[in-house]
Amino acid sequence: MANHSANHAAPMPGQFVPSQTLRTIYSVAIFLGLVLFGLALFKDGDRAWYGFLTAFMYWTNLALGGLFFAAIQHVTKAGWSVNIRRIAESFTAFLPIAAIGAVVLLLGSKHLYIWLDSDVVAKDAILQGKSAYLNPTFFVIRLVVFFGLWLTFSKLIVGNSLKQDQDGDTKWTLKNVGLSIAFLFTFALSYSLFSVDTLMSLQPHWFSTIWGIYNFAGLFQSFLAMLILFVIYSMKKGWLRGLVSEDHLHDLGKFLKGFTVFMAYIGFSQFILIWYANLPEETIFYLARSNGWWMAISFSLLILKFAVPFLLLLPRWAKRTPSHLAMVSVLILIMQYVDIHWMVYPNLDPYSPHFSWQEVGPFALLGGLFLWSVTGFLSKNKLVPVKDPRIDESIHHHVVY
Amino acid sequence: MGQRKGGIAGLWYDDHECVVAATKVREAGFKKFDAITPFPVHGMEEAVGIKRSPIPYIAFGAGATGLLAGVGLQYWTSAVSFPLNVGGKPFFSGPAFIPVMFELTILFAALSSVGALFAMCRLPKIDPPVIDPDLTSHKFALFIPEDDVGYNADRCEQLLKSLGAKEIKRLSDY
Repeated sequence: MANHSANHAAPMPGQFVPSQTLRTIYSVAIFLGLVLFGLALFKDGDRAWYGFLTAFMYWTNLALGGLFFAAIQHVTKAGWSVNIRRIAESFTAFLPIAAIGAVVLLLGSKHLYIWLDSDVVAKDAILQGKSAYLNPTFFVIRLVVFFGLWLTFSKLIVGNSLKQDQDGDTKWTLKNVGLSIAFLFTFALSYSLFSVDTLMSLQPHWFSTIWGIYNFAGLFQSFLAMLILFVIYSMKKGWLRGLVSEDHLHDLGKFLKGFTVFMAYIGFSQFILIWYANLPEETIFYLARSNGWWMAISFSLLILKFAVPFLLLLPRWAKRTPSHLAMVSVLILIMQYVDIHWMVYPNLDPYSPHFSWQEVGPFALLGGLFLWSVTGFLSKNKLVPVKDPRIDESIHHHVVY
Repeated sequence: MGQRKGGIAGLWYDDHECVVAATKVREAGFKKFDAITPFPVHGMEEAVGIKRSPIPYIAFGAGATGLLAGVGLQYWTSAVSFPLNVGGKPFFSGPAFIPVMFELTILFAALSSVGALFAMCRLPKIDPPVIDPDLTSHKFALFIPEDDVGYNADRCEQLLKSLGAKEIKRLSDY
């Protein structure tokens, strides 16, 4: 099918128009989030910044997931996913806001990372040993480099895709293959270090070599859930008629199930080595997550982020029924928040979890900005890369049994 | 060797014509007929009316059995029959058992899937009848077995010919 010319008559996607409800939701979320975050800063600085970090990781992950997904479609020269690729690309519209979020995070970093405090480091031999990496200057340099690379790659890869909408030239598709390979290598290294910097260093004595992959697993699992929700929303609005069918949902559901298993596999791999070896310097992480309600939350990750979604996604009909698939996606998105909360908050209080308006504030603020930027991108551009040379393959995508 | 099921086969030289014909044969009321093609043909499952395989359910049942077998095996060996103190951990240590539970789930599910496939397809077939050697390269066949509902050799031949079959082969022909 790939030899069909790009000007082959394909159904045109509808224009994405954010509904009044949607616009009200993100406006209220941004406004309320800003107010609550401000109040939280006033009430308890430490807790406000922990909440901000959790929300920042959550929404940044989704934006990066969009770029990662688009890149693997280009690298594998995938045909089936062409008609949903633009929605994944739209998530990168949040990346510039995430970069600003990283600057804001630096303002509160003293509340989060004890290794930024030279007095603490002076008394701590372990932190002195790590100071070649964990020091304020290098931390800022890394954040600048990471976001610089991600923004550049998203500008290039998504930009090429948008340029193809204008002229239908296949050279953009070819260019994106090389760019995507470069991005994937860059992303593997930069995101691993990014998750080490922002989350693992909350507890700077502790270390886990699988940390980056665990964070990536959650990133991609939650991204797929969010992508499915956007695709189903656009389908229900009738904007993707003749372009995206339940066959695409079926494959997205398989993807989601696969990475649900991957997340559990990596999470368990991290746990079992630490549990088996039973070394005090490593077990502190899980000990802090086994006190009181933290233990229940640790188990909820196993059950509600893996076992339940896995079983709910197993039957064929489950992946082809939009309402069912949307329900599982919402569950996974909720559990992704719980997962990041579980990584962050025991450093604030290892004896009890906290969730209140102070956590809702920054989450609503960044979530509102995410919705605003993504729907803005989709309203400005075509919902489907209409001149992609592989679009026919996607239109006729059919999952055999 | 083996029992050959008699019947009649129509051969096409074009995969799309064969799919169209298969739809018509199914609409004519035949239930047990099959398509024989050199490669998977798009839309053929629907055209022939092949139902979903029960193998996924067999695999799930076998996988669940394997999971329980993994728990049982380790509970018996580690906590009942030969309890050993390993690093001061409990005899019945959930996390330590998970890798074996996982492996047995996969092993049971995979072997049962292959076993079920062999049983359902009656494999291995030592000496399958060869309708036409070209069915492995460029011809496409529909085969109506003689035990199909309303089978009548002449009527079937007429039907296949009317659907554009380029060649007709009866059981005696091969």
